[in-house]
Parts: sequence; structure tokens; C-alpha cells
Amino acid sequence: MKKAQLIIPFVAAGVVAAGPLLIDDRFLLKVLTFVGMNVLVIVGLSLLFGYAGQVSLGHAAFVGLGAYTCAIFTVRLELPWIVGFATAGLVAALGGLILALPSLRLKGHYLAMATLGFGELMTLAFVEAEPLTGGVDGFSGIPFPVIGSFEFREPAALYWLVWGVVGVALLVAWNMTMLRPGRAMRALHGSELGAVASGVDTVGVKVRVFVMSAALAGLSGALYAGVVGFVSPSIFTVGASVTFLAMAVIGGTGSLAGPVVAAVALTLLQYSDAVVPGLSRDVARVVQSYREDLYGLAIVLVVILAPQGVAGLLRRLGGGGRS
Amino acid sequence: MDSRVGRVVIAAIAVLMIGSAVGCGEGAQETTSDAQPVRIGAVLSLTGTYAALGEAEKNALDLEVARINDAGGINGSPIELLIEDDATDEAKAVAATSKLIEQDGVVALIGATGTGPTMAMRGDIQRAGIAQISLAGGTVVTGDFDPLVFQTPWSNNLVVPYVLEVMKESGHTKVALLTDSGGYGKDGRDVIIAEAPPAGIDIVADETFNPGDTDLTAQLTRMKGSGADAVLLWTAGKEAAIAMKSARDLGMKLPLFGGSGQARAEFIEGSEGAAEGFVFGTGKSLIPSNWGEGSPEYQSVSDFATRYEAAYGEAPDIFAGHAFDALAIVADALERAGTDASPAQLRDAIEATSGLAGFGGSFTFSAEDHNGLTREDLATYRIEGGKWVAAE
Repeated sequence: MKKAQLIIPFVAAGVVAAGPLLIDDRFLLKVLTFVGMNVLVIVGLSLLFGYAGQVSLGHAAFVGLGAYTCAIFTVRLELPWIVGFATAGLVAALGGLILALPSLRLKGHYLAMATLGFGELMTLAFVEAEPLTGGVDGFSGIPFPVIGSFEFREPAALYWLVWGVVGVALLVAWNMTMLRPGRAMRALHGSELGAVASGVDTVGVKVRVFVMSAALAGLSGALYAGVVGFVSPSIFTVGASVTFLAMAVIGGTGSLAGPVVAAVALTLLQYSDAVVPGLSRDVARVVQSYREDLYGLAIVLVVILAPQGVAGLLRRLGGGGRS
Repeated sequence: MDSRVGRVVIAAIAVLMIGSAVGCGEGAQETTSDAQPVRIGAVLSLTGTYAALGEAEKNALDLEVARINDAGGINGSPIELLIEDDATDEAKAVAATSKLIEQDGVVALIGATGTGPTMAMRGDIQRAGIAQISLAGGTVVTGDFDPLVFQTPWSNNLVVPYVLEVMKESGHTKVALLTDSGGYGKDGRDVIIAEAPPAGIDIVADETFNPGDTDLTAQLTRMKGSGADAVLLWTAGKEAAIAMKSARDLGMKLPLFGGSGQARAEFIEGSEGAAEGFVFGTGKSLIPSNWGEGSPEYQSVSDFATRYEAAYGEAPDIFAGHAFDALAIVADALERAGTDASPAQLRDAIEATSGLAGFGGSFTFSAEDHNGLTREDLATYRIEGGKWVAAE
């Protein structure tokens, strides 16, 4: 690590932190807050996919678990928001653990199918557990996040809250990838047999990274619930999971920077009419109608043509060096 | 994380700042009047699952805003309508709402198209204290009551008891129910299950299907064997046509009933003749003469239909009608409260709406009722010869 490489993240963090001071457009702040929530999911997913090489097609279910947990704790049980937020991470982590257990015996396609099934199952659960979740009508009236006596009401406050959590998650993830667990994960990605032969506890690594990425998705869901004040099953579909996976795949492997960039770009794409002035309605409509298909296609193309995704591009631009 | 994250984040922020500096959004119409325009916001699904509905709603709103402005606006002030697309997505509906409120300073909001996005907007609506007039039909919209939220479509709470009564009067009391598990069908099913016993109707079969299902044979076979003397279908999806064709193939001879979800040309066409004889209850305006020629409702509905057809080359569907009503309600309230009314005063004026003749019927809101319609606004239809006719 050269000194310069350490300075830039601090500068970047400063710029992100200064966002609300530079932008007085409340709508744009809200969009950037949504970007932050997606980045949070992708930090976990890029550990899972980009480092450990495990495919999850059910990650939106963890986001949903977190969102509903936080909603139930703050509204139905009237507990402080911070309790709901922490529990959301724990419940999602538990879900990740449950899903990781079969993954000990499953590899590749079979694991992908298990996660897909899990996602579908959770969507059904959100609909059917009506007394808890409000069923298809959704769950409304979720309060704003509160810490102590401070209520995160203003777009700027919510922005700082979400990006603050993202910052912490990035630090933790980055430390993981730089140290032993990171090497173990990369070994797993390279060759599971090879990793076993080198004495890596592949099972332990898989479970831990699954739990970690599920927990981050759950926290993202809890933040979503607080920012939007309403959750419903239609948000946490397999389509959303595919979108997350697309961000991770297009972001590339063995990197946190690539997936973060991909998450920012693909999220902004959904708000293209807000971010790109004068985009024609027809273009927006085509993009919207075929969004998931486009993401699926992008995944296939990236895997075949540019397996390193955005991360590879960044490496070429930045002149070598792993992130 | 390393230098490249930093560079990219800086680049992203820079792009965003440029984007915001250039300014964003669309939909504001140029106004030529000197008077201060009144800004009304609309959140519609112009893309995504409900794009067809949102498109019709947008057509109706554009048409009416142009008409009002050409006639000199409201008390001399033109309306400036700002439309945002929610892409049938709840997170986007929230962002769009916050943009219209924070950035554009609208005095009232029309929308959303769907029940989910409508409910998702509520947090921002409550915080800003701005009236919302939803175009979504979910019972929850006004059932989960909020002083700020109104809706224009006929609520299931209104239509279900009406249809059950129609069934009872025609001598059908043992009913096989078929609903979809999506929003509209599930919403209707809950109301049907609650309202059937007091209406003297016995639900002998309760079958559901999922949106997107292509085979309903199993459900219909069970319904056929349930000893029912009529079928009640509650869905807005395209699966309704599949149900009709399957029922015919299975030789089901039971009379068929439904609600507003069947007031769609696609249902009749998709059923390929299998929906002949289907009886459904919904608003009177499907056949404007139901109101009686010369009545204010008849005038309102047929004028709108004529103008809509002239502008877009097709008859307005019920979604266009519900949007027409939403704008009429806001315009009427602005006229009474004055175009410089605060959002709170405007809300009060909307709640004081009384006897406003629109597509949905005669709207009279109160502190407890934000749907504003009564069973007097409903009528029964039968499908005959590939179109609906008034049923006796």
C-alpha cells in the first residue's frame, strides 16, 4: 500500500460526507441515499461473489428480512429504532446461516438454485405472514430512524446515516479482504479443491461470508424501511436479487471498488430521468420494461467477455494493484 | 478500498453535481399567463407493470389541464401539472414524491397509479401535510385512513356488497369464489369473505391463483364439484380470460359474476366468446346514459369521453376516468379555496367536496369518507355480443 493510495479513500470519504453540504437538491440527496442502500448490499455481495465465488440469487430476501424485522420491532413492538436496526442485521444473518448450511454440501449451480428457492420462499412468507407483515398491502407507518433524541428526518440526515453505515461496512469488508479471511476467500474462488489442500477451512469461510453478506443486506433493508416508511413484498423479489447480482458481477471479482462503482452506476440508471436531463420517455420506457432482462444479459456478457468486470477496467486504468 | 474507489466516487459526485446544476425533471407545461400558476404534482406509472394504466391517466390529466388553462385557468391562474414516473416501483414513487414536494413545491399530489406506490408515498405526504388523491383501487388506501389521502376509483368496500346483493337477488346463494393472489384480487377476497355472511351468501368454494398462472383447470374442477350455483370472479388480471375459456372447456354451466376488474375490453376479447352472459357490477359511467340524459354526471362523462376520443383516437378506459376525477376534485377545491390556498386549506377544501359530478359518480367527501362514492354510483352490466350492456 503506497501512501497515496491511502489518502484517496479519505478524500473520497470526505467528498461523500460533504454531499449534503454541496448539494441542496433534496430529491438528489434522496436518490443518493437509495444509492447508498444498494452499495451496502453490494459490499456484502461482492465479498460473497467476488471473493468467495458463491452465487446468490436470493439476496433481496435478506434485504426484506431486515426491512420487515425493523418495521415489526419499531411499530408493532414499539422498541427503539436502534434495537430494530441491530436485530434486522441479526435476523438476516441468521437467515444467511440457515441458507449457508445446505451450501456446505452444494456447489455452483446447485447453490445458486438453493438461494433462488430461498428468495421465492421468503417472498411468499412476506405475503402470507399477514398479521406480522401486512401481506400484499404492505407495512406502512414505519417511523424515521431515531438515535437517542435525534430523529433522522431531513434528507441530509438520512443521507449521512446511510452513507455512515456504508463507510463502516466498507472498512470492515476491506479489512477482511486484506487479511487472512480474504486470502482464504480468494483461494476458495480460485479452486475449492486447491483451497482444501492448502489447509483452508472452506466450509467455515463459506458460512462466515454468507452470514456477513446477509447481515449487510439486512441492515440495508432496515435503513430502507426507515427512509421510505413503507415496505411491501413486491420490493424484495427475485428480480431485485438479479439486479443485485448484476451489480456484483458487472463490478467484477476480487475487488470492492468495482462492485461499488457498478452499484452506483446501475442504481442511478434506474433514476436516469432524474439524473440525465432530457432523456426521452421512450428510451426510459424500454430500459424500464426490459431492465431485468438487460441485467441478465449484462451478467452473461460480462462473464463471457470480461470476467473481471469494472474491477478489471479499474485495474487497467489504475495501473495494476489489487484493491 | 484504494485509490480507484476514491477517484470514482469523486467522479460520481462531480457528475451528480453537474446533473443537479443543469436541473432535472420534466413535465412542466409552459404557461403564458401572467398570473402565478398553481403547481399540482402527479406520480404515475408510465413505465413498468402498470404502464398502460399510467399512460391513460397521463392522457386524461394532460387533456384536462389544457382544457382548464385554455378556458383561463382557475380564478385566472393557470394550472402547472408536473408529472413524475414511478416505474411501478415503490422506492421510485417515494423519490418522485419527495422531488415534487421539496423541489417543485406542489400544493397537492395526484397518484400513484398502483396501491403499493400510493401507500409508499404516505410518509412524505404526512410529513409535508399535502393532500394526496390516489388513482389506485386498493381498499387499504382510504381504509387505512389518513386525513390527507383521498381516492377516486370505486372501492371494493362499495362494489363487493353491491355485487353480492345482485347475486342474492338473482337467486344465487351458494357461491364458488375465484380470486387472484395479487393486490386487487386478494383485496377483494378479504372483503368478500367478510361481507358474504351478512349478505346471506354462502361461499362453498374459495379458490385462488397467482398472477401469471396459465392453467386454472384444477381450481375450476374443484369449483364445479363444490355444489355451487354461481361463480364469483374477482381479479383485474389477464388470467380472467383464461378462467372463462377453461370454464367453457370443462362444460361449466354456472352463471358468472364479477366486479370492476371485468370492466375491460381485454377481458371480453381475451375470453373469445366464453364471457358471454357474464354479469359484473361497477360504476354507472361505463354506459353514460345510465345516469339519465341531461343529468350533470351524464354531461360530465360524455363530454370527457368525446374530448378524449378526439384527442387520442380511442375511448377513455376507467383509469383515464379515475384520473379525470382526481383533477376535477383538485380544480373544484382550488376554485373554492382560492389559488393561493396553503396545502392545508386545500386539503380542507377537498374534504368539503360535495356532489361533484365526475366519471366515478357523484363525489361527496366527509371527515370519515375519503372515497366519496355511494352505491348510487354503481350499475350492473351483462356481456352480450362481445360488449357490455346494461343488465336489468
